[in-house]
Amino acid sequence: MSYFAQALINGIALGGMYTILVLGFSIIWGVMGVINLAHGEFVMVGAYLAWMASDFWDVDPFVSAPAVFAVMLLFGYLVQRVLVNRIIDRPALVSLLVMFGISIILQSVMKVTFSADFRLANTDLDGAWRLTDRLTVPVTRFWVLVVAVGVTAGLNLFLGRSRLGKSIRAAAQNREAARIVGVDIRKVYAVTFALCIGLTGVAGALISPLLAVQPFQGPPLTLKAFAITAMAGLGSVRGALGGAMVLGLVEAMLALYVDRIGTNLAVVASFVLLVAALVLRPQGIFKGLRHVDATST
Amino acid sequence: MTALLEARGVVKRFGGLTAVDGVDISVGAGEMVGLIGPNGSGKTTLFDCLSRVLDIDGGLIEFDGTDIGRHRPHDVARLGMSRTFQLIRVYRDLSVAENMHLSIQWGSLGVPQLFARTDAAARRRADELLDFLLLGRLRHERAGNLSGGQRRLLEIGMSLMSEPRLVLLDEATSGVNPTLAADIADRLRAVNSERQVAFLLVEHNVQFVADLCERVVVLDQGAVLAEGTPGEVTQDPAVIEAYFGDPGDDTAGDDRVGNSPAGAGDGTAP
Amino acid sequence: MSRAAPGAGAVARRWPAGRAVGVGALIVLVVLAVLPLLGGTSNATLLTLTLMLTSIGVAINWNLTGGFTGYVDFGHAVWFGIGAYATAILISLQSNGPQVGWPPVPAILVGALVAGFLAAIIGRATMRLKGPYFSIAMLGTFVALREIVRVWSPLTGGGVGLTLPPYLNRMLFYYVELALVAALVVGTWWLRRTRFGAALMAIREDEVGAETRGIDTTLLKTAVFSFAGLSTGLFGALWAYQNTFVDPDIAFVEVRTIDAVMGTMLGGLGTVAGPVLGAAALYWVRELLWTHLLDAHLLAQGVLLIVIVLFVPRGLVGLVDRRGTSLFELWGWKGWRLEGRRLHRGPAAGGEAEAAS
Repeated sequence: MSYFAQALINGIALGGMYTILVLGFSIIWGVMGVINLAHGEFVMVGAYLAWMASDFWDVDPFVSAPAVFAVMLLFGYLVQRVLVNRIIDRPALVSLLVMFGISIILQSVMKVTFSADFRLANTDLDGAWRLTDRLTVPVTRFWVLVVAVGVTAGLNLFLGRSRLGKSIRAAAQNREAARIVGVDIRKVYAVTFALCIGLTGVAGALISPLLAVQPFQGPPLTLKAFAITAMAGLGSVRGALGGAMVLGLVEAMLALYVDRIGTNLAVVASFVLLVAALVLRPQGIFKGLRHVDATST
Repeated sequence: MTALLEARGVVKRFGGLTAVDGVDISVGAGEMVGLIGPNGSGKTTLFDCLSRVLDIDGGLIEFDGTDIGRHRPHDVARLGMSRTFQLIRVYRDLSVAENMHLSIQWGSLGVPQLFARTDAAARRRADELLDFLLLGRLRHERAGNLSGGQRRLLEIGMSLMSEPRLVLLDEATSGVNPTLAADIADRLRAVNSERQVAFLLVEHNVQFVADLCERVVVLDQGAVLAEGTPGEVTQDPAVIEAYFGDPGDDTAGDDRVGNSPAGAGDGTAP
Repeated sequence: MSRAAPGAGAVARRWPAGRAVGVGALIVLVVLAVLPLLGGTSNATLLTLTLMLTSIGVAINWNLTGGFTGYVDFGHAVWFGIGAYATAILISLQSNGPQVGWPPVPAILVGALVAGFLAAIIGRATMRLKGPYFSIAMLGTFVALREIVRVWSPLTGGGVGLTLPPYLNRMLFYYVELALVAALVVGTWWLRRTRFGAALMAIREDEVGAETRGIDTTLLKTAVFSFAGLSTGLFGALWAYQNTFVDPDIAFVEVRTIDAVMGTMLGGLGTVAGPVLGAAALYWVRELLWTHLLDAHLLAQGVLLIVIVLFVPRGLVGLVDRRGTSLFELWGWKGWRLEGRRLHRGPAAGGEAEAAS
């Protein structure tokens, strides 16, 4: 029983990590209709930034996260201006392939710069809290969860209340109508993309003490982000939280009950969840910013 | 005479919206039936249900005595019920003839025939049909270069290629100029009398339906409002109320103004 | 090439100067067939050529689903890995001590069949999904199956992999793969002319329309997908034998999918010659990049992919033949079309405008 409780705690903690990982991906897809296949690579770049801060100047990732956010915001804005702007209205295949090209480029640049060695950032918020003699709470993951919930709540407020947030939602729901009432679509897209890449960088910074930082860590993260988003509804902030928790719990249970190899099977689990969710419920579970319909063209 | 197509209590919901709400409709062999109703009354959704493009949430659909409620669209087509679409679906980058060759009787092909080129018989049949539909000289034209009305005719031709017994025609005259609309009506009548093909027509153009059909079904808010001869139906106060908006104004032909292609029942969930 | 003059409004021509291309292809085939017999061809050269043929073969298979049927598969390399592993497992079967593996030919054939069989099962589920959903589901299949192979160590040797008995007749492999590629080219060329090919194109352009016109779209697209899986599995099986060693990270490589996608794009999506020309060109470009840029070759490849997609959407074949499939007509964005070199939105000239007349 305490094993189960432990898996529950691990699963929720993992879900927190996935929440912050998926938000940027989900909103870009929901608002702009672009599937960011380079998502995992943006996470990876953020993680490298945090690792550099930790390794060179001994700055804790939780402290450097705002700086990483700023740098990635700028980077996202640049990528948007140079490339993403050109593909927004294009067919899905074009944007998929261009984003795929970006992901290859980022992997290659990081490999050439940092080699393929595995790195980990150091954080003071590590170790585990002992609840009973069988139950522990992983400290780093706990704080990631706290940040994730905070960011989720903040985003919800921002999208729901602020003027800019409302324009973003309007642009996602009906571009033409939004344009007619005076929303500057190009600006909204630029802000959305930059903001989401900033967020994604923060996700990278936060997981840099948890997951090995290396040039090829991206694709599984992209895949998980896709699985959660398609399950939960495109651009749905609450859906991202819910979907991330489901995936986190499934993975934690697998790790617990399938001895040793359970963690390797996690990516299999997310794939099975993805296909099952899409086939059984093509329109998504939560109501998102954009209509999900996986089985009709 | 038992009906060729017999649908009873067909229900289709999109989330909370019931687009088709217990519709009964039947079409006899060789019969021409009109299906009219204001925008959003569920005509196209009903078509999608009958041709099995959409799954139904309730009711029974029988074609020639076979329950097709769970059939896939290609099975329905192979049984002898074909259809056209409100938003024309021809293959724009293929020639007119090539489009016709895509609508052969796929069900009768074995594997070896699947790996062979279109045979002479199908080519001949396509050419005959194109001549019959006044498209003969456009045979080698790219389908995307045809006018809206010509594309409607091509789609009708495609729906006739597989020698169906019933054709569901969705808005055969929308976006078509009056001269060509008259041509289409003439050709449909000829197909009907010469080849005994039954038709179910969804139309905005009430005059067109009144000219062609002996029986008309009126749909409103997903349910059958009235049924009868064109004369009876257009006199029915309930129909005038629902369909023509303003009671007393029975100049049916004027409704052509409302020829917007954006029927709410065009198959997209809210 | 004198017959290649693009006639205005010519619709039926699918092939730029068909006969000239056919003769050209035959000459290339003869040159490739005679080359090793002239002597002086080293084993290394033969291996390079064989790997190029592998790359071309996989691209042709990818184009069957991605180009002809419109289902863009981002995990195609999985069938290569499955074919390679199935063969390796059959060959290195242990029976209480002494090795009792299968002989090579049945092992290779069964390896390919295993890939085709798995492709049929997985394709049946994933091909219900459309557009990007299908693409990502296949990427997921790829990553998931690689992990399963890594985890299932009693059968697959886990992360360590399996070693095959060496059998290194490079010449034999070269001719087998040359024959396979030639057969695939002729096969796809024929396929495009048949009813089957027409049905696939109908599925790509408008699947609902194809279905209502009596085409069993599920059956046909799954059949094509399974065949592509089987054929790529065959190349994987042959590769495993030549490599004499498989582990999850060299049998299941993303790059193989990337190469197939890029090669086909570069050559011309949905054309017969496209994947052949594109994959061959890409192969040599990569060799060049690899020797000169080492690690940065992936960078160059990423840039190349973006450039192709944005600026040469119809590929090499599209530069000659106006009627190849443009990317922009895939996935429902019929509003976009390529006129000359520019992208236009809205109806094609002479299209809708006439509706009112």
